[in-house]
Amino acid sequence: MSQYEVLNKEKHRHLRIKTGYGAALGDAVMYAMTYPTEFRDIQSCYPILFTKDPNTGGFFAAAVLGFEPDQNLFLQDNSWDASYVPAVLQRQPFLIATGGEGDNESPVVSLDLDHPRVSQDEGEALFDAEGGATEFLNQKIALLDKLHRGLQHSRGFIDTLLKHELLEQITLDIAFNDGRKESVQGFYCIAEERLYQLKGDVLESLNQAGYLQPVFMAVASLSRMRDIIERRNRLRL
Amino acid sequence: MDDRISRIIIVGGGAAGWLTAGVIAAEHRIDSQAQHPFELLLIESPDVPTIGVGEGTWPSMRATLQRIGLSETDFVRECDASFKQGTYFRNWQTGGGQGDDDSYSHPFTVPTDYAEANLAPHWLALTDAPQFADAVTPQTGLFADYLAPKQITTPEYAFVVNYGYHLDAGKFAELLRQHCTEKLGVKHVMANVSQINAAENGDIQSVTTDRAGDIAGDLFIDCTGTNSLLLGKHFKIPFQSRQAILFNDTALAAQVPYTEEDQAIQSCTHSTAQTAGWIWDIGLPTRRGTGHVYSSAHISEDEATAQLLAYIKETAGDKAAAGLVPRKIPFQPGHRREFWHRNCVAIGMSSGFIEPLEASALVMIELAAGMIAEQLPPTRDVMDIVAKRYNQKFLRHWDQIVEFLKLHYVLSARNDSGYWQDNRTAASIPEKLSEQLSLWRFRSPWHQDAGAVDDLFPTASYQYILYGMGFSTVPRHTCSHHQDERQRQASELFRKNAARATQLRQALPGNRELLNKVREFGFQKL
Repeated sequence: MSQYEVLNKEKHRHLRIKTGYGAALGDAVMYAMTYPTEFRDIQSCYPILFTKDPNTGGFFAAAVLGFEPDQNLFLQDNSWDASYVPAVLQRQPFLIATGGEGDNESPVVSLDLDHPRVSQDEGEALFDAEGGATEFLNQKIALLDKLHRGLQHSRGFIDTLLKHELLEQITLDIAFNDGRKESVQGFYCIAEERLYQLKGDVLESLNQAGYLQPVFMAVASLSRMRDIIERRNRLRL
Repeated sequence: MDDRISRIIIVGGGAAGWLTAGVIAAEHRIDSQAQHPFELLLIESPDVPTIGVGEGTWPSMRATLQRIGLSETDFVRECDASFKQGTYFRNWQTGGGQGDDDSYSHPFTVPTDYAEANLAPHWLALTDAPQFADAVTPQTGLFADYLAPKQITTPEYAFVVNYGYHLDAGKFAELLRQHCTEKLGVKHVMANVSQINAAENGDIQSVTTDRAGDIAGDLFIDCTGTNSLLLGKHFKIPFQSRQAILFNDTALAAQVPYTEEDQAIQSCTHSTAQTAGWIWDIGLPTRRGTGHVYSSAHISEDEATAQLLAYIKETAGDKAAAGLVPRKIPFQPGHRREFWHRNCVAIGMSSGFIEPLEASALVMIELAAGMIAEQLPPTRDVMDIVAKRYNQKFLRHWDQIVEFLKLHYVLSARNDSGYWQDNRTAASIPEKLSEQLSLWRFRSPWHQDAGAVDDLFPTASYQYILYGMGFSTVPRHTCSHHQDERQRQASELFRKNAARATQLRQALPGNRELLNKVREFGFQKL
């Protein structure tokens, strides 16, 4: 279970956050949510696909990390074997909550006290002896801010993809070297054929909204699929 | 002279008229500027209220709505619709009573691997087996638990397990009207038809209306309900009563409010047999719809009302039943001898109506509209050929509906009233049905019993009713070499089915929960 609280200088003064990576720190996930302004970093390491929020059915972009639930093929001996770690994982255990009501909704930094990274005695401090935010916390807050803006931008991106029917379902049928087969369902990718048929004014509107580049980055990112299949082949199960 | 069919007039709104308009308009682009203009005009009376025929659909409705171009999200939101996975029958076999669980299900999903394997004989061979439908499909346990047939992540019109809908027929007609006139180019005239004008050759040339003058057309579709204004009154096509087989001729309908705001919503129709009929019970998001359909020759209206109110009290409490005055709908069970005559075809209640058991009213409209849309005669010349085929096909459909519904009554062992006994007299049973029953004592219905590709009820439905109601098929022992192997395969399918049922029960949300999510988020198109 998760227990969310708004970050509070007094209340959370002595909390520490464990750094590093590992299954025990909550990093064993099959995919990580991402957003268009992060695609440039993501596509250099991971395939970008789209999937649905099980609670709302709404689409979001995801960096694929494995082929089955809880499988993250980039976790190795408590380290992360890639040059970039998706922001939604880097920011743990923090998140943005929207406080206030109605039009006054303002983003506030919160954290999940039940997250395995939260500790009383191990890891990075959040506040210094004077009660000021540490460099560590400031970095996390900056990251959260970027993530928050990125996810907001992402909504229009997804709506636009759907409006122009630029998503299509794919089933990943993969036979691994050890003879096992996996049929991964529930993922969608950019419908390339339709993308290449888009006409001038639509392309221009996509470009102006900042959506055109991430669309092509998502297309290009699929070449990373080979890499994660290789990672899966190297696993000894 | 150009005898091209380019102007279609539908007389009558309601679900029949608008569904027909939608299906035809979706198939034939309406364009008055085209070289061969095509027009579709619907005349709706501002004075005739619509009877909500059939608040239950078959799974076929999903394809029909998709064909018309409606989004499932809009449909569910606007029509107060919910998801239906089949029918749950109570008290049909013995009448229930103390501690006696007289119930069975007819789910929309066919038995596991039905195309390749007939599980019925293997189920019959089992001792200590679960009920037939429970053994051969995972669906019955889902609707027993009021679960939905899909998740919010399932694309619109796609399913995890097969489903149709329960809906508010009035709201449905409204949504279709809006869609047809705004998106599909159907013209809408509000007027009463006062006169039908014949052409020299005997066709209908035009109809005279009270506020829109004469309206001429090449093909007239009669959706005027039981009035049957064009086919019945004008052409005097005789009505064929089916009451000698299916006795029910009266319905008492009552809407029942939910007792709690978040009360679970049934995801199947409940059908509970009474002494001279049965009570339907369907769950919409905002209310339940119930009704008692019975034979007026076997029970008085007062007594029928008392049985309905007792049912409502039992299922919704005294408060819900207090002050309820059911709406009475008398009907003649039967249909016209011919449905397409000259340049006029009747769809919906103007062509016929039989009690709502197995909810065949809306699906017949879908089939009729579909056939007209697909086989619309290009010229008056060939219309009679299409009409002939149409008549043969729909007579077959009516015959099959009559036989299949009668099956429910024939198999009953109830002896508590003349109604049930009369239902089993040989004279009341169609010959084809008696023949089938004789054969099925030795082998179960399967693909070999499919009469035609367009059979209305698939053979699987016969299996569900027969074995749900305790019918016994005793195979003649032909010692097959494959017997043991087949039984092993069947056991494997039974086991797989049970495992799938457990898995689905964990994955699927409640019917109300999903409906709330559709309201809030909607389904994705893909």
